[in-house]
Amino acid sequence: MAQFILKRGIGLIFVLISVSFITFILGYLSPIDPVRQLLGAQHYTLTGYIRLKHSLGLDLPWYQQYYNYLVNLLHFNLGYSFHSQDRNVWDILKDGVPISVEIAFWGLVAALLVGIPSGIFSAIRANTWVDTANMSVALLMYALPVFVIAVFAQVIIVYINVHFNQSWPVADWGTPWHYTLSDLQLKIVPILVYGATTYAYFARLARTSMLEVLRQDYVRTARAKGMAERIVIYQHALRNALLPLITALGYFIGFLVTGALFIERIFNIPGISSIIITAVTNNDFPVVQATTLLTAIGVVAGNLIADLLYTIVDPRIKLS
Amino acid sequence: MNSNEQGPDLVPEILPGGVMNPQSVNIVETRDPVLPPGGPNTSITDKKAGTKTITPFRAAFNRFKRDKRAIVSVGVLVFFVLLAIFGPLIYLHVGPSIQSDLAGTIGPTEYHQYYHQELSRQDQDPSAVYWLGTDPYGRDLLSRLMQGVLISILVSLLVEVVDVVLGILIGVLAGYYGGWIDQFLARFTDVVFAFPPLMFAILLIGIFGSSSNSAFANLPILGENGNARLVLASIALAFVAWPLMARYVRAQTLQLKEQQYVEAARTSGTSAVRIILRHIIPNLMSLVIIAGTLDIANTIVNEAGLSLLGLGVTEPGSSLGLMISDALGTTDTHPIEVLVPTLALAAIVLAISFIGDGLRDALDPNTTN
Repeated sequence: MAQFILKRGIGLIFVLISVSFITFILGYLSPIDPVRQLLGAQHYTLTGYIRLKHSLGLDLPWYQQYYNYLVNLLHFNLGYSFHSQDRNVWDILKDGVPISVEIAFWGLVAALLVGIPSGIFSAIRANTWVDTANMSVALLMYALPVFVIAVFAQVIIVYINVHFNQSWPVADWGTPWHYTLSDLQLKIVPILVYGATTYAYFARLARTSMLEVLRQDYVRTARAKGMAERIVIYQHALRNALLPLITALGYFIGFLVTGALFIERIFNIPGISSIIITAVTNNDFPVVQATTLLTAIGVVAGNLIADLLYTIVDPRIKLS
Repeated sequence: MNSNEQGPDLVPEILPGGVMNPQSVNIVETRDPVLPPGGPNTSITDKKAGTKTITPFRAAFNRFKRDKRAIVSVGVLVFFVLLAIFGPLIYLHVGPSIQSDLAGTIGPTEYHQYYHQELSRQDQDPSAVYWLGTDPYGRDLLSRLMQGVLISILVSLLVEVVDVVLGILIGVLAGYYGGWIDQFLARFTDVVFAFPPLMFAILLIGIFGSSSNSAFANLPILGENGNARLVLASIALAFVAWPLMARYVRAQTLQLKEQQYVEAARTSGTSAVRIILRHIIPNLMSLVIIAGTLDIANTIVNEAGLSLLGLGVTEPGSSLGLMISDALGTTDTHPIEVLVPTLALAAIVLAISFIGDGLRDALDPNTTN
């Protein structure tokens, strides 16, 4: 167990260092001069320029800058925005991240609650009309881009509003993590759209995995010795069928922050998506760097969580 | 994922017959019974018997033809490709003259340009002048759709070339020789997989986007009309796409190089380069075609997504994603404006996925779903 974690840890550190280096070096090579951006056109003087550059440490060679960058990262300092003067990147992200996480979290919960049972049910009733219908919906949700589904959802709301004299809101977001009636009205559709795409993933995976397990010898043995079908499925097969879903869960945990970029854009939600768009339009690349890095860390952490869960759930993996 | 587990003899008709002869009997025997025997392996016996030879490629094609969903999808895809390439040529010459806001009386060659604005004709419904209506800026939706699809095709081709070339090159070298190049590939893929594909594109565009207009202004089609950042997007998408292809190719190469005919070629003194070019790469093709097709769908979605976020194509250019983005404000009053690009994108993406599924079933009959 310890060996496994150590091995994973080393790989993880390597990936994190590489990712941070790529993000850093791209910013270092950027044609946008951060010092000029900070000074602005009308305040530019050569001495002021040199002084500011020195105080920011940008006149150091690249390896020293990278070292400082890493040290800052370890202190949870993601740098400073060029545009919102002297504003910490962390501070800027703080406005959007809770909202983005809120969509992704509830969407993921909804997807797990619907996706896994429906996938398992599909596998038990394989090749019946229930299975076909469920899998057709899942295939459609899986193949279509999320923003296409979001647009369809929006158009359906508009249709209902027009033809049934409703006034369901089409876009915007309520107070983060508050659930009054008006908040729910705003939040439920984006969350369901996120849930729908994620549901497709889990339902398909759960079905494949369950079918695979039902084919195993021990399931046949259990049936042969006359065990009730209910017990065979829910006690013997189900638990093993859930194993591959853990990896998938880890993957989606990694995307809690940036998983809903497109949904936020379509439904005009002030999450991380709008922060990224503003930052790119303003050439404010420290914000973009920080977001990329956070996402990469999220992905790596998600993988690690999945691995650890896996070792806990499945004792066979401990020694590998 | 495991579509690369197929037998080694999927495309043997490309292989030189001379080297294959020693094991030809063997290969025919191990082949899946669904697959009719064919190719140069059995050509000698076929000539003796005088029967008509069905090559594996031909057999795969026959299987593909039976897949109705895939054939319809090919039709849809061809329609969109033709629409994007030849549509504007026709559409620019069809339509009555109209009274423009600023330019006096103008014909369809002007107002059917995808960037032509008529601010007094915003949000129009479909008519003889504007076949699909106009967007919130008074531009023709059909023209913008055709240009948008063209952009999607161009970007996916660009990414696909890099994906396939680098994927095969690195994948084969890593699989055949192993060693440091294999290590490099493994580590590199680890890092790339930590970057979600879109985030890397966003990072690259966020840092270099503002200067890409001057850098790529001279490129045809891609460089002009606000499309310059698209080049950057393509580079980024290609950069994160190829490691997966290389991984598939590597796994397949590892299997192929243990095959008897490769061993025979090696024993008879064939050089490594020649073995790779004539024995390994032709056998990788079905895998590459399947993976590549699915990657095209991904690329189109990613490009549209980037443009939707305002990070890909910018005004006055057009892209499916940008069209959606432009129309978001008028969804409640004129839903057609957002539905046109969305439906087109949905049709294209679904068509490509179905073609990919059909190709997998056709080229790779041994895998069950």
